[in-house]
Amino acid sequence: MVTCVRLICAWLGSSMRRRLTRGGAGRLGVFWAACLAGSVQAAMPDYQVESAQGERLLLWVSSERGRAEPEAVAARRLAQQGVAVWLLDVPSAYFLPQLPSSMDRVSVDDMADWLRQALGGGKAVTVYAVARAAVPILRAVSRLEPAERRRLCLLLMYPNLYQSADALADANYLQTGRIEGLSIRLLQPRRSAATPWLSAQVAHLANLGARVTPVLLENLREGFWARESPTPYETLRSQQLDTLVLQELEACR
Amino acid sequence: MNSRILAAWLAWGLWIMDPLAAAGLEARPAQASPALQAMDLAGQPRTLADYRGKVVLLNFWASWCPPCRREMPSMERLRLAMRGRPLEIVALDSAEPEEDVLGFLATMQLGFPILLDPEGVNTRRWKVYALPTTFLLDAEGRIRFVLKGGAEWDEGDARAAVEGLLNELETGKPSL
Repeated sequence: MVTCVRLICAWLGSSMRRRLTRGGAGRLGVFWAACLAGSVQAAMPDYQVESAQGERLLLWVSSERGRAEPEAVAARRLAQQGVAVWLLDVPSAYFLPQLPSSMDRVSVDDMADWLRQALGGGKAVTVYAVARAAVPILRAVSRLEPAERRRLCLLLMYPNLYQSADALADANYLQTGRIEGLSIRLLQPRRSAATPWLSAQVAHLANLGARVTPVLLENLREGFWARESPTPYETLRSQQLDTLVLQELEACR
Repeated sequence: MNSRILAAWLAWGLWIMDPLAAAGLEARPAQASPALQAMDLAGQPRTLADYRGKVVLLNFWASWCPPCRREMPSMERLRLAMRGRPLEIVALDSAEPEEDVLGFLATMQLGFPILLDPEGVNTRRWKVYALPTTFLLDAEGRIRFVLKGGAEWDEGDARAAVEGLLNELETGKPSL
């Protein structure tokens, strides 16, 4: 019975997902709630699509705080510029609290399937993951075949990879698996407590096998597009989020 | 039964209203401090040895950090309240250009020393991963309390911890 429900949910999910437009995510959320209530998990997460005819596909994974409006706006603008975007809001897709620890509960198999589906479309695929969302993405990437992994590029916006980071002690990193051959651009807003630790983060990812390029974003704070009291410059850069992401996407090879 | 439930709600209410209970001022077994080597705003090199013999409240902060900015006035009030007692409040700015620090200080009158750590060397040495983070050191320079996050330093448990270390120094009796 459970298998039957799971199959129906998976089939319905995949057919609905392809027809997604803006505003469709809410309806699909209800659908997934019904599926999950029956202790059933879909094979892939619920995501929103911004279609485009170009040769590039961006998988945009918002932080544990969920998707902010400037991110949705930037995705639409990218699509207008020929970059297809799949937007994933993990807490919403999996009905999880908006906490960093929620990201550690995401099915890695689901995420790996999602990446494979993206790669299967024939476009050049880049993944942009914010904060703790880097963890399920890195875990999923480590599940890919090396040839698949080499076709991907990751933009990690101030990734939070810590299991624990207590004062006076060395930080412990979460296990994410080997990622040989993967290209990563690590985007770090300068105005962040993580900035002094940027070289340590780069070294950690390099030790896992990635080629890592750090990029400091001057005069910005983490989550500058969703701040309660943004500076005028943060507001400006928030309005230009598509430009920033496109620039990094083009540099990410 | 009802009074027990009421008492539980009151206790819970008091707990969530106490900023330090929520933020977690953490008492630590006394441990030696890492080195501190920074410049003050006058360009003079400073180390912890400059404050030996006093209780030290060492605060890692940055001008872009809202909780850091929020707690600064309470640190100034604490300084004024403890005037004449062996307490030194030291605020070390983490990994910022000096002009950003000066820009912030122009908006707030603070009487305690500000140190600069533009490259984050001290931040890494003390293994500070979040801002603000504050260490309370005893007169021997040993770390006794750590707080990750902001506080109202002139009240509640935060002030009590400072008072405890000052009393220990002034009476020679351990505070804990």
